[in-house]
Amino acid sequence: MKKRFKVFRWKAVGPLLLFLVLLVVLWIIFADRIVRNEAESNLSETLGTQVDIASLTIREADAAVDIGGLAIADPRDPMKNLFEAGAITVDLDPIPLAEKKIVIDQVKLSGLRFLTARKTPARPADPNSPAGKLLSETRDWAKEKFQFPKLALGRIDSAKSLVLNPEQLGTVKAAQAFVGTVDSAREAFEQGLAALQLKPLVDSSAALASQLAKTDPKTLGLAGVKNSVTSVQKSIDRIKKARGKLEALEQSAKSSLGSLQNGLAEVNAARLKDYAFARGLLQLPSFDAPDIGASLFGEQSLDYFQRGLYYAKVAQKYIPPGLQPWNRPGPKRARRSGTTVEFPKEKEYPRFLLREGDVDLAIGGQAQNTFKATFANITSQPALLGRPATLSASGRIAGDSPISVDLSALSRHFGKSPKDSLQARVGGVSLPAIPFPGLPFAVNPGKSTLGLSFSLAGDKLAGSWEINSNQVTWNADSARLQSASLVESTVWRVVSGLNQLQVRAELSGTISNPSLKIRSNLDDAIADRLRGLVGEEVAKAEAKARAAVDKLVDQQVTALQAKVSDLQSQALTRLPVERSQLDGVQKQLETQLKRLAGSAAGGLKLPKL
Amino acid sequence: MLTLLKLLQSLFKTLHSEGTPAQVAAGMMLGAGIGLTPLLSAHNLVLFAAIVLLNVSFGGGMLGLALFTPLGFILDPVFDRIGLALLGAPALQTLWTDWYNIPLVPYTNFNNSVTLGGFVFWLVAAVPLYFLGKLAIARYRATYGARVMNSKFMKGLKASKVYNVYSWFRPE
Repeated sequence: MKKRFKVFRWKAVGPLLLFLVLLVVLWIIFADRIVRNEAESNLSETLGTQVDIASLTIREADAAVDIGGLAIADPRDPMKNLFEAGAITVDLDPIPLAEKKIVIDQVKLSGLRFLTARKTPARPADPNSPAGKLLSETRDWAKEKFQFPKLALGRIDSAKSLVLNPEQLGTVKAAQAFVGTVDSAREAFEQGLAALQLKPLVDSSAALASQLAKTDPKTLGLAGVKNSVTSVQKSIDRIKKARGKLEALEQSAKSSLGSLQNGLAEVNAARLKDYAFARGLLQLPSFDAPDIGASLFGEQSLDYFQRGLYYAKVAQKYIPPGLQPWNRPGPKRARRSGTTVEFPKEKEYPRFLLREGDVDLAIGGQAQNTFKATFANITSQPALLGRPATLSASGRIAGDSPISVDLSALSRHFGKSPKDSLQARVGGVSLPAIPFPGLPFAVNPGKSTLGLSFSLAGDKLAGSWEINSNQVTWNADSARLQSASLVESTVWRVVSGLNQLQVRAELSGTISNPSLKIRSNLDDAIADRLRGLVGEEVAKAEAKARAAVDKLVDQQVTALQAKVSDLQSQALTRLPVERSQLDGVQKQLETQLKRLAGSAAGGLKLPKL
Repeated sequence: MLTLLKLLQSLFKTLHSEGTPAQVAAGMMLGAGIGLTPLLSAHNLVLFAAIVLLNVSFGGGMLGLALFTPLGFILDPVFDRIGLALLGAPALQTLWTDWYNIPLVPYTNFNNSVTLGGFVFWLVAAVPLYFLGKLAIARYRATYGARVMNSKFMKGLKASKVYNVYSWFRPE
């Protein structure tokens, strides 16, 4: 008899269960290590810097995770940690875990430290990772958009020869690009005017009016008068239409002229930049107060704004607005990572959500600590939550040098206008020395009040960075100071007697066209002293730089201005003449129409004029 | 070298197991599913349980896994493209969105392009693979089977303890 085929192999259930038990045991043994490594790796990749976690314990029964010794390195300074947390307790909502989603009910952080020194240098971000690319993009952005004038270099040499290459000058490039625009505008104007064919219209209408003036209406008969009236009416209609088109052309010409004037202004602005470029080649110090502020504190303030932009861009990259599917690189593994796609759905959990977090600053347990910080609604899909992520912190942190902190941050990545912003004020903080680029000394602000703000809304940037201190000390490199130039030693004499420092930098504009204004209390004092000391020499050298630029660009700019003026005068003189001719001939025709109407009164119904 | 040796061992054991060619081919087909897709996905646990619990050749499953894992690595770029095309297909967006929000389903990593591409590739290839495997094993047994079975290597292998453990999963 044929043996009955069995589908299931029941005796293998035991070994299979044993295998599953083995998997569970392996998970219990290795889960903490695996999750810690994954967390380190994912956080490092997201933030673009090394993230270390000393310990991680999963408490499955409590749906909680205890993290110890979290350290996040500064992506721009490998020997510094931006943030350290002694202990973090994460309470998870277990239900979303079934959907592979992490929803944190509450996080408690304690033992926080900021800007601490690292024992070993942090690994740099992988330049090909998303965060690495953002870091290099923001660096390039800062380099491209901001160049700060140098305050003082070598000896001021007004006799130094200056050779400029026309290709280096922005004015030449702007003029070359602009000349095409002027020619196009001129061509468009002339073609528009020619297309109206005003001369044949004026001539034929004038001829008709003249012919009718010589004719006695009584000789035409009723039918002749009727035909003449119809011809006159048609001519008047054509004139009215032509006038309408002429007015439209005039409007268009005025608008074009406005654009051309703006273009000329841009060429002139490029010339001012070229003057500055030529001055730079002569290595002249600038005596304008805003330039001095930018020379001294430009790099420092830009460094802060650059960081702000980097983190705002990281937030934009990892927290997309809306509910569209979102692609991100797959997990790192021996097999190809591929792309992992998120499919958010309304009224469901987002992939990551941190509902609420508290910071308990229990360093040493000082009773004077009044610092409290809370954060909430941090999520990977804010459109699902419909609430912005917020962080607020305020209070006093006791210690050897107590500081006061007032901080708030908001990240809104849903609705029509996504926005990331931060405002912070820290009082009594000991700031590190600020070196002055190219100068043999640095300012040590000591205990200061530091104010920061930054926001990125769409493409719009806004921010401020300010330092106020009345405990300033100055550090000089005495060897370099001995061989310093007159300008350098003058600046040193001015600043070394000061014990107050007020700096304020303001960022505005857009990412593509940012503007940075920096003022400090040192600006006017340095400017006045330098102007009195070497102003005459600098003025001579500046005139030379301007002359060198003018020599190369004057001809092109003058020709360009002439072209614009020519077009402007054409538009302003020719169009009124054409219009008055149309008006004149229309008047003549209307006179003849009245005449014809008078002669045929009662027999012909005439239109209202 | 050791891996190659184990692969050979598995190959011979499977080809001469007492299972029918259909059982060995079915085991290989299921093993190919694990080999073609990235290992750490929930569907692989289901496939593994199927190899163990269903009356198919366990050795066939392991052989499928051993043969198709390197093929999976080679075909990953193809799987990536298939997966991305499917995950981005407008007609399937509602399906993916629903699956993404169903408990446990996301642990299959279906929303990863390589995993989905590999899995779909396996689904399409599974039936042809089964029939091809069945045919190849039947032919092998009819031609070289008896000679290899009587070789010293196979006799030694059958006498070892490893064979005893393996025989727990021998098809009935």
